[in-house]
Amino acid sequence: MGRYLLRRLGFAVLLVFVVSSAALLLTRIAPGDFAAMQGVGLSSDEREHLRERLGLNRSLPEQYVSWLGGIARFDFGQSLLYSRPVSALIGERAVNTAVLATFALLLATFVGIPLGIYTGTQTGPMRSLVRAISLVGISVPPLVGSLALVFLAARTGWFPVGGMTSSTGMDLSWTHWLADLARHIPLPALALAIPMAATLERLQSEAIESASRERFVAASRARGIARVRSILRHAWPVSLRPVLGLYGVMIGSLFSGSFVVEVVTSWPGLGRLMFDALKARDLFLVAGCAATGAFFLAAGTLLADLLLAYTDPRVKSGEHA
Amino acid sequence: MIRRAGIFLAALTLFALVAPWLAPYEAGEAFRGFLHAPPMRPHLDGLSPVVHPLVLADRLEQRFEPDRSRTVRLPWVQHEDDAPVFLLGADDFGRDVLSRLLYGARTSIGLALVATLGAVLIGALAGAWAGYRGGWVDDAIMRVADFVLVLPVIYVVLVLRAVLPLVLPASTVFIIVVWIFVAVGWPFVAKGVRAIVAVERNREYVQAAQSLGAGPLRILTMHLIPACAGHLLVQATLLLPAFILAEATLSYIGLGFPDPVASWGTMLAGAGNYNAVARFPWTLTPAVAIFAIVLLTNLLTSRPTRNQA
Amino acid sequence: MDWPTGQEVNRQPRALLSVLLIGVVAFFGWRWWDSTRPDQDGGAEIVFNEVATRGGTLTSSLRSEPKTFNRIVDRNVPVELYSIMTGSKLVRFNRATQEVEPALAEKWSVSPDNLTYTLNLREGVTWSDGTPFTSADVLFSFQAIYDPRVESLLASSLKINGKPLVVTAPDPRTVVVTLPGTFGPGIALLDNVYLAAKHKYEAALKAGTFVQAMAVATPPADLVSLGPFKLTTYAPGQRLVFDRNPRYWKKDEAGVQLPYLDQVIYEIVPDQNAELVRLQSGQFDVLQQQIRPEDIATLRPLEQQGKLKLIELGVGADPDSFFFNLNSSYWAKDPRRDWITRKEFRHAISHAIDREAFANSVFLGAGVPIWGPLTPGNQKWFSPNLPRYGYSLDRAREILAGLGLVNRDQDEWLEDSKGTEAQFNIIAYRGNSSVERGAAIIRDELKKLGIRVDVVLLEQGALIQRMVKGDFESINFVFTQSNLDPAMNSDFWLSSGSAHVWNMGQAKPATDWEKQIDDLMVTVMNSVDQAERKKTFDQIQKVFADQLPVLYFVAPRLYMGVSSRVGGLTPSILRPQLLWNVERMTVKGAG
Repeated sequence: MGRYLLRRLGFAVLLVFVVSSAALLLTRIAPGDFAAMQGVGLSSDEREHLRERLGLNRSLPEQYVSWLGGIARFDFGQSLLYSRPVSALIGERAVNTAVLATFALLLATFVGIPLGIYTGTQTGPMRSLVRAISLVGISVPPLVGSLALVFLAARTGWFPVGGMTSSTGMDLSWTHWLADLARHIPLPALALAIPMAATLERLQSEAIESASRERFVAASRARGIARVRSILRHAWPVSLRPVLGLYGVMIGSLFSGSFVVEVVTSWPGLGRLMFDALKARDLFLVAGCAATGAFFLAAGTLLADLLLAYTDPRVKSGEHA
Repeated sequence: MIRRAGIFLAALTLFALVAPWLAPYEAGEAFRGFLHAPPMRPHLDGLSPVVHPLVLADRLEQRFEPDRSRTVRLPWVQHEDDAPVFLLGADDFGRDVLSRLLYGARTSIGLALVATLGAVLIGALAGAWAGYRGGWVDDAIMRVADFVLVLPVIYVVLVLRAVLPLVLPASTVFIIVVWIFVAVGWPFVAKGVRAIVAVERNREYVQAAQSLGAGPLRILTMHLIPACAGHLLVQATLLLPAFILAEATLSYIGLGFPDPVASWGTMLAGAGNYNAVARFPWTLTPAVAIFAIVLLTNLLTSRPTRNQA
Repeated sequence: MDWPTGQEVNRQPRALLSVLLIGVVAFFGWRWWDSTRPDQDGGAEIVFNEVATRGGTLTSSLRSEPKTFNRIVDRNVPVELYSIMTGSKLVRFNRATQEVEPALAEKWSVSPDNLTYTLNLREGVTWSDGTPFTSADVLFSFQAIYDPRVESLLASSLKINGKPLVVTAPDPRTVVVTLPGTFGPGIALLDNVYLAAKHKYEAALKAGTFVQAMAVATPPADLVSLGPFKLTTYAPGQRLVFDRNPRYWKKDEAGVQLPYLDQVIYEIVPDQNAELVRLQSGQFDVLQQQIRPEDIATLRPLEQQGKLKLIELGVGADPDSFFFNLNSSYWAKDPRRDWITRKEFRHAISHAIDREAFANSVFLGAGVPIWGPLTPGNQKWFSPNLPRYGYSLDRAREILAGLGLVNRDQDEWLEDSKGTEAQFNIIAYRGNSSVERGAAIIRDELKKLGIRVDVVLLEQGALIQRMVKGDFESINFVFTQSNLDPAMNSDFWLSSGSAHVWNMGQAKPATDWEKQIDDLMVTVMNSVDQAERKKTFDQIQKVFADQLPVLYFVAPRLYMGVSSRVGGLTPSILRPQLLWNVERMTVKGAG
């Protein structure tokens, strides 16, 4: 287990490094640089001065090495667009994305898993209804979902449309801020959670269906354990394996989806920041965003794997399915 | 399911080719006096369907009212210059949403099809090569594929697109976006193909071909890859809606096709801000179209449900 | 197979209980949810006139973040706003009346040769930290602006014929400014002088680090203000908070010290749509700049409910400009050179655009047709008696035929006598709907004539690069002026100017009419006889209207949405349209 963890950690570090370096290099060789993008109304002389001041006229290897050196000191450089340290910017935005993603994931889990257990073990018209809803849910990608929800919110006024906070945010009490967040988060979280919940439901349904056919489940029933209890206690942990495996894959699509949702609903997250940074050719900010994204990705998949290893009784006992 | 997938892909291709011919107006035909005109409902006048033409009620509010004193026939039958018929409303330039939807179908589905083809071809070749050779070739290709698969698709597409000149002509955008999609799509195909080929390569017909002196390329292209045909068809059916969605996302954020090219993504981008969407919801019909295609795909690829005892 | 067990028998009442529980939770949840909604005010009265109630907080928005607080070094929107909030000038250009009025200089006199201005500074003015404001600060500010190490963008606007002003301070309350040559706008030139505190930044200027002074990281307590407010908080990425400056020198007519407001908050919201949403919901009282025509309809229902007021500011001063590259060396090898740079070609295009339809499509009807660079919004300088090119496709075709452009084959496009097709491309930039739409309309209208136009959209930065390099066929753009006096915009009119967009920075005038304008501009810039200046400038406008180096179609009407709790407004068409006079604004309620 320890060696496995170490290997995964190494992979994570490699991922972060490769992704952020690639992002930095790609942005560097992209046509146009920050001074050109921002130099609206500046003469070419003024633009050259700006370049010099910002250090944009150094060669690629020079910039890369200096960036690496900065990374070693945990200094991610200065954002050209916002004139602030990259780490400060990313800190704020990454938290927003993490909050949204976590909330969406939890929502999807608490809706999808129980529904999946239900449809995988029960019969009746409710089951077909849930399955139909699931099918529709899977077919609503975050782009479509967020647009539809924005339309709904704009028409009905049930939710504030877009953004993360409405208040002028000055010295607000905790409860007020939380309440404000609670008003703003459902829209983007739903847009993200709907397809995830549907996918989870389907997979969980299938998995538990096949797990409940296993002999040990029948055996537990033979011992007189109630149906519900036997399913939950014996079939479900086993069925979790493919489901938790899905979590690892879902982290990637959660990221993709959150970018779209952030753009449509103006949620001030990492995706939006990276997009703006790319357009403005803000080198260090792009690299920082890419690094953070890769870090969360690696952490998320690692967590999912660990969770899987922990819950599957077969893995715990050393047996491999 | 393989047969269903094949039929679906063929039908979609046909639709994409034919759609613009069904459009009553040109994709760029703008009616200046009818910005954001609402959809017009046809009713029956005797046996022929007709519509009441719209009249401007308030220009600033972009409000229109039906002129009940006149009727106009449907635009496939009759074109009136001063009384356009918008069955799905008009967009912010006064262009018919239905026509743009159909032209956009060709652009969006066409791009996705070409990209799917590319991804399937390259993925099949790479995966088959990996499965056939095994050893370090297999390892290397699969490592690369794994790495690409881990990354979130939209971010990779975004970075690759954003580092190119931000505004490009439509034809260049098409080519570049196809290549980007192929680059992110091939690992998906390659993994599956590799798995199949790794098994198939030990079959007798392959060994027979080898003993007859067939080179690896021949074996791959004539035997192994065709053996994956069914699987490839299914993968293609899964990739297609993903590419349609990715193109829509790119165009929505402004990195896809430029105006006035009609694609589902540019139409969604033109739908505007929250207020515009609330007042003119018909501009969101491309989202419904995308939903429909994804739904169809999921219906086709879902496994038949098993009944409980 | 289900084996009956004890649990199943009790299922029914348990189900009923859980349904009841869910119902109760849902009910209270809905009540809590509703209570957290922002309060819906009952119809508030519309406060529009002068109400001298002191106190309250105003909330507005900013689209981008300041990169520095040093106005001498930078000039974009956030730092300009900062200087409006915390600065005072020697004289102030009143954006509503478009006249110059005394500010820190309470009176001034001009020497008979119009070269020397003697300004008397107000008594008892202090910076926000108590240090007295004297002429030494004025002198220091000029030094900073002209210092080559600072590379201030203001320096060139404070030079006449390339020579700087000579400024002396004979005593703490007198400033003497000597111009190197007579200047038409006169004292209005000093509107470009932004003041910096000598006691705080003299050391930095001497050390050559003035550029880093007043950086955004400076603690607000270290920044001094001479204006109505001072900065109390800057939360990067979030907001700027300004509180009243108790040492502000200005009082209103009744002797009440300005400003009326206690506090002004600027929330940083980069997205224009999000900004509008907050204005609708009441979180923002006023926005930085005008709303788009399509937003008027969105705000109308709120106006009817009495929550907002829609203010019509009048015709804006910045119309969209469409111009060709008139540098003959660009077209030297192009087969179209015989007709594409001819003024008749531009006349034909001007005839071919239906300006009313343009206003309807691009501005939803909220625009007026114009034929020259000045709009009716520029009251002092606009000349209504210019030749106009009425909408007539026939006339346009006639003129084109005169150039040899006729349809010579089966397709819909015109060709010249050599068979070259009549086509060109327009570059516009993404992100501005009126510029994009305008270009599309030009394309569609010229199609009717038989001229093929391609619209190329670029990023704003890329477009400006091409414009500056002279690497374009034609461009559709919108320029924002900060000053309405043509002498202050000489870069556009003079052939040597850096904003002479159709052929920038000429060593000597390339055409006769540009030489004519150059000569006339000398009078406009140097004469102090305002009537003479206006007459001369009218002549310039006539030459311009005849040659049409830039074509104009529609000037937009500007609208702003303001919360009904805000009063004391002095609307102007120049940005920032309402906040330029924030010291006079009031709010009802504590905010």
